[in-house]
Amino acid sequence: MGNLYHNKTAQWVAYAAFFAALAAIPLNIDDDFLLNQLATYGVYGMLALSISLCWGFGGILNLGQGIAFGLGAYGMAMTMQMQTQTESNPIPPFMLNNSLDYLPLLWQPFQSTMLGLILAVAVPTLFCAIFGGIMFRARVSGPFFAIMTLAMLSAFYTIILDRQPYTGGVNGITPPSPFQFAGIEVDPYSPLAYWCVFFALLIAAVLAKLITQSWFGLVTQAIRDDAERVRFLGYSVAGYETMIYTVAGLIASVAGCLWVMLVQYVSPAQLDVGFSLSMVIWAAIGGRLSLIGSIVGAFVIQGAQSYLGDTFLSTWLLILGAFFIVIVRFLPNGLSSLLEAALGLLSTRKNGASPEQSNGTKPVPAE
Amino acid sequence: MDFGSILNALILGISIASIWLIAALGLTIIYGAAGVINMAHGEFIMLGAYSSYMLQYYVGVPYLFCIPISFVIVALVGLVLERGLIQYLYKRPLDTLLATYGVSLVLMQGVRLIFGSDPKYLAVPEIFSSNLSLGFVSISTFRVIVFGITALLVLALWALFYKTRFGVQVRAVMQNKEMAASFGINSSRIYMLTFALGAGLAGVAGSLFGVLNIVLPTMGSSYVVQAFLMVVVGGGSLAGSVVASGVTGELQSVFAFFTNDTFARFVIFVLIVVFLRFRPQGLFAQAGARR
Amino acid sequence: MPGLLEIHNLSKSFDTIKVIDDFSLEVVEGTLCCLVGPNGAGKTTTMDLITGRIKPTAGRVVFAGQDITGLDEHVIARAGIGRKFQVPAVLRDLTVRQNLTVAYSRQTNPFWNLFRFRAPGLDQKLDEIATLAGLTDRLNERAGILSHGETQWLEIGMVLMQEPRLMLMDEPIAGMTESEIEKTARIFRALRQTTTLIVVEHDMGFVREIADVVTVMHMGSLLARGSIQEIEANPRVRDVYLGEQEAA
Repeated sequence: MGNLYHNKTAQWVAYAAFFAALAAIPLNIDDDFLLNQLATYGVYGMLALSISLCWGFGGILNLGQGIAFGLGAYGMAMTMQMQTQTESNPIPPFMLNNSLDYLPLLWQPFQSTMLGLILAVAVPTLFCAIFGGIMFRARVSGPFFAIMTLAMLSAFYTIILDRQPYTGGVNGITPPSPFQFAGIEVDPYSPLAYWCVFFALLIAAVLAKLITQSWFGLVTQAIRDDAERVRFLGYSVAGYETMIYTVAGLIASVAGCLWVMLVQYVSPAQLDVGFSLSMVIWAAIGGRLSLIGSIVGAFVIQGAQSYLGDTFLSTWLLILGAFFIVIVRFLPNGLSSLLEAALGLLSTRKNGASPEQSNGTKPVPAE
Repeated sequence: MDFGSILNALILGISIASIWLIAALGLTIIYGAAGVINMAHGEFIMLGAYSSYMLQYYVGVPYLFCIPISFVIVALVGLVLERGLIQYLYKRPLDTLLATYGVSLVLMQGVRLIFGSDPKYLAVPEIFSSNLSLGFVSISTFRVIVFGITALLVLALWALFYKTRFGVQVRAVMQNKEMAASFGINSSRIYMLTFALGAGLAGVAGSLFGVLNIVLPTMGSSYVVQAFLMVVVGGGSLAGSVVASGVTGELQSVFAFFTNDTFARFVIFVLIVVFLRFRPQGLFAQAGARR
Repeated sequence: MPGLLEIHNLSKSFDTIKVIDDFSLEVVEGTLCCLVGPNGAGKTTTMDLITGRIKPTAGRVVFAGQDITGLDEHVIARAGIGRKFQVPAVLRDLTVRQNLTVAYSRQTNPFWNLFRFRAPGLDQKLDEIATLAGLTDRLNERAGILSHGETQWLEIGMVLMQEPRLMLMDEPIAGMTESEIEKTARIFRALRQTTTLIVVEHDMGFVREIADVVTVMHMGSLLARGSIQEIEANPRVRDVYLGEQEAA
């Protein structure tokens, strides 16, 4: 039967089991605070998933995923902030504190919840499409692109920090009440909030998985292998790279919205270089070639980090850094490649020295 | 605006440029020679600052001697890192970037565990903390010192790369590793030495920055992105980094004069991205261009 | 009848060195044109110029009546030009099947391909080409582990999967055994019925077997053009091949 790890049916079964387990959590947990915390891990899982899609499958290392996440988060925070403003009191308090006595143009669309939500996702996605399009068309790739995303991230970080009257500066935005949608209040500590994140993660994972298995996924893998060659087959490499970078950005921007829904807070820290790099660490340790592996990587690492608390934070980050080095050096495809190797061993033992693949199942080197 | 304040801004620009340049020097050499994107460079700078702090605080070494000793200490750290990790990753540039980020985490947290998160200060001789004033212009003496040391280092590096046997070997390895090997040049040794040299330069930068700013475990991260951009804009060559730092330093200072520091940095970042869109190989592309 | 591919006065300089110098060529539809010449004559550079890998300094390339000079590689490929590289370029991390599948590039739009899982006619075409290339047993192997001859065949197979109107084959038989060469010659002759080919080759025996027209390049320009008999009788060609030093 070949390596179970590469078997598509087995992969979908694993997805079903994984999400069934996540769905069982709110039924077994009464602690609202814990549920909220688990939901934020789900958001981190989405970010790791987006990195895995872009870097693992697309071969594009993106050190600036915080741009999409952060812009999405700011869009959501602005929407939620405006939900609490009234006709008689239309200007958020932090603006008044910065002696701004009118609502800036930038903020006006966010008076409508629907429009605000659309912008929160559309603006970062559009940014990725344009920035990615420009860069990939110029054939910027590899470490070079990574540095460019880093520069862009720093640019956004700086401008948000600088425009205090519009963005709240270093303090960020703290919407005073939970997100309201269609008359329903999404209490961040309720199972409802958890389910929102759950379904967003589920949809993102399934879409990502389908993309990797589609023709697009095949072309993307071919580009990762030898971009130059793929051009001569008639595929626009820049088009494919822009597409996967943008899809990853879309997922990250939705994650940004959900994150603010859960914590009712956003600040430039969400666009900090360190945070974007930790997304890469989650995916790298979990296994950049495995979507679920990356998600689990985010769960475990962020889980451990908050479990250990602030007292051990330094020690934890020290160990994490060291572990990350070991992974990059010896296990570039992360911990899930151990599982792959184990299942491979199992299948060869069962079949003797049989060929790797069975009839009909196309082997997908990734996942 | 008057002439004096513009001139002041321009001179401040030179000072900013020299700070960016000295932060980028070590990175330039490492990237230029070996194509390694060393994300731990900022932490090398931080280690330089802490080395100077330790030398001053525990051993009582005068500040001016702290600078060369920090060079040696951080160069040794770089040497160990190159032998223990980087040398296995030369064929995987993206992984080098990531692995060195791991190193930066380890160094930062390690220092934090040892020294704590509270700021440390480097003491300098009285004369350095004064201000120099020439007509309209007034600038702190220490910034002049930084400029002087940067200029000296650039000159020394230029001599090293273009006037010595070692320099010829480094350039040979940069152009064509296999060819260089057939002439009996040990490229592994060249990489090791350039990496150590680059790290040592970061150490020097650190002992200077420790005076300009406070010494903190996180101080390196504020320099690293900027240093990268200097290197990338310059194209990985020494002259490129000098010009890139010069131009961006001046621009930063002039923009800051009309707006403010943070906004000026934003404009610089955007300009750099736009510039690299049209000239991805940087100002001065290396022969045997590496991307 | 106008040529399927027309190259008009093509020139390419790197710095001050002229690599291609006022080179013109016309390839008639349904013929097999061999491009020969000593090393450094500019054969591969000509292929690079046709397929858009490098942009010419001067001159025009017209394909099927359409000016394709300086267009991007993928646009030229879509117009119907397929290419096999001198150093066989296959996707080494992908399987043989995936290599052939991805080369079946009927639909290249990233949006449409995002959730597309099959292509009409793929399975039949893949079977046919795999059989032709002798790779039926190797379909699930990683392309990186193939032998040199198999890699050559895989890349030829990839070009065939594209079903281009014009195929550029850069040294297709390098590293093949005697019987493989014979088979290649047979297939190329058969292909001539349906497509047009330009083959760059050193092996004059192979050229003699397949060529309708032979074009000889020397130092970036056209030296001679004609049937194989005419070329072999041409004294200038002999000079170039036998006494390159004296001629230059």
